[in-house]
Amino acid sequence: MKTLKFKHPVSNILIWLYALLSVYPLFWMIAYSLKNNDEIFVTNPFGLPTHFRFENYKTAWTSFNVPQYFTNSVIVSVVTVVFSLSFAVLFAYAVARMKWRLSGAVRVYMTIGMFVPVQVIMIPLAILMRDFHLANSYLTLIVPYIAFNLSFATLVFYGFFRSVPVDLEEAACIDGASIYRTFFSVMLPLIRPSIATMIIFVFLAAWNEFPIAMMLISKESLKTLPLGLLFFQGQFTTDWGAMGAAMTIASLPTLLLYMLFSEQVENALTVGSAVKG
Amino acid sequence: MRKYLGNKTAILLFILPALLLYTVVVFYPVIQVFYRSLFDWDGLSEAKFIFLDNYKRLFHDHIFYTSLYNSAVFAVIIAVVQITIGTLLAFAVAEVAMRGRKFVRITVFIPVVLSITVVCQLWLAMYNGEYGLINKLFEVFGLSYRQDWLTDKHTAIFALAAVNAWQYMGYHFALLLAGVKSIPESYMEAARIDGASKMKAHLRITMPMLGETYKFCLILAFTGGLNAFANMYIMTSGGPGTTTYTLTYMMFRSAFRVGEFGYGSASAAFLVIECLIVTLIINKLIARDPIVY
Repeated sequence: MKTLKFKHPVSNILIWLYALLSVYPLFWMIAYSLKNNDEIFVTNPFGLPTHFRFENYKTAWTSFNVPQYFTNSVIVSVVTVVFSLSFAVLFAYAVARMKWRLSGAVRVYMTIGMFVPVQVIMIPLAILMRDFHLANSYLTLIVPYIAFNLSFATLVFYGFFRSVPVDLEEAACIDGASIYRTFFSVMLPLIRPSIATMIIFVFLAAWNEFPIAMMLISKESLKTLPLGLLFFQGQFTTDWGAMGAAMTIASLPTLLLYMLFSEQVENALTVGSAVKG
Repeated sequence: MRKYLGNKTAILLFILPALLLYTVVVFYPVIQVFYRSLFDWDGLSEAKFIFLDNYKRLFHDHIFYTSLYNSAVFAVIIAVVQITIGTLLAFAVAEVAMRGRKFVRITVFIPVVLSITVVCQLWLAMYNGEYGLINKLFEVFGLSYRQDWLTDKHTAIFALAAVNAWQYMGYHFALLLAGVKSIPESYMEAARIDGASKMKAHLRITMPMLGETYKFCLILAFTGGLNAFANMYIMTSGGPGTTTYTLTYMMFRSAFRVGEFGYGSASAAFLVIECLIVTLIINKLIARDPIVY
């Protein structure tokens, strides 16, 4: 059996062209974050900067609210990851392994949430947050972000818990461990790989979330990066380099995450297809 | 053991946080959307029950039909572009012999992890009529296609769809690649021995076997397209005129700009039904039992 060869140079070239097309805008953004207006518009719009103007980053960091936005994004994303995963893992264990009558129904009920697009419930969500007096606080973002990630996270953890042999719990029970002890010391370490996957998944979702933040946050001091960047176009018409720098800073965490764990990131995002379809 | 795993207190402690939060923040609002769509309500004062009047108004609103049309155009474009290119790339990258497959895999996926705001701002700059990259590119090649892509009512919706298709193509590519990789090598070998060309083998074997993946990609692209909001909100504000309105944008405007929460809820309720119908149709069209190897 000969190895199958990809013998079409034309399609090969097209594929390479597409790959370049998909990464060029990003390259262009990073390049212009190091240029001045003159170079961006007139002298050198396409290529690498002739002179690296790192002062753009300094301008972005000091003159605009980038540190504030960045801090808010970190707070919101980290708290969301911690709580949505904790709640989901507990829930998943109870429906996957513990014996009670309604476990199947409750699991299905939770799964329905995956089919609800955020946009659809924007209006009631806004009213709800107002009625709970959470509007314009960190919680107004964190609470919905946690809730929105629960359905999918529980489903993934559920799958993992189901694949663990029941002997382990039996052994722990015989050794006299409480159910809590069994959960934390025996079961939780076993599903570590899926927890890592979900950390990436939820972090990306929370870091990049836009519609809810746009609708619920109007206070400057609470804006997350996607929201803060929205108003840059107007503010920065005079200084494109600094705007590019701010956008690069905003993309850095997710880009780094992807560069370091590309395979896990892709897995984390595609794992949904197995269950959602 | 039965008693051990049937510990009522533990079960309650484990499920309550997730169950409460999900019910209040996700499930209850869905019911609210349908309920509130039956009222004339500005979000603040007393709501007046008007039964289906909001829907009647919706079906007489010409913006509603514009929105439906735009969402459909947007959804079809992103579905066709993403799935076609995604399929071709996935087949190519699955080849062991292809050079630079890792580079292609990574670069194609990068836009997926970027924030939609960053992507929109970036493309706003690229589409700009005066100093945008795209017009500059035409200039370099000596073509006179120079124009304002986003303020021209004929090109605006296509320009937006291109951005969305560009950003999330990688996601579909990753799904399809995972699908291709899960097909055992022996099928392709058998086709090879029978003398099928590469092209034919993919058309006759790989693609039918990817039925489940295609189903998911289609549902994802269509419901994503119908729900499209951020691209329009950031890049065109529904304009020029109403040429880039979608149902979600219409809903958002009704509720948060004009203060018609009841009417906005009716748009949202219609959106839910629309997405359900599309999902059902796709499920029907690609009805097949999942393949087990």
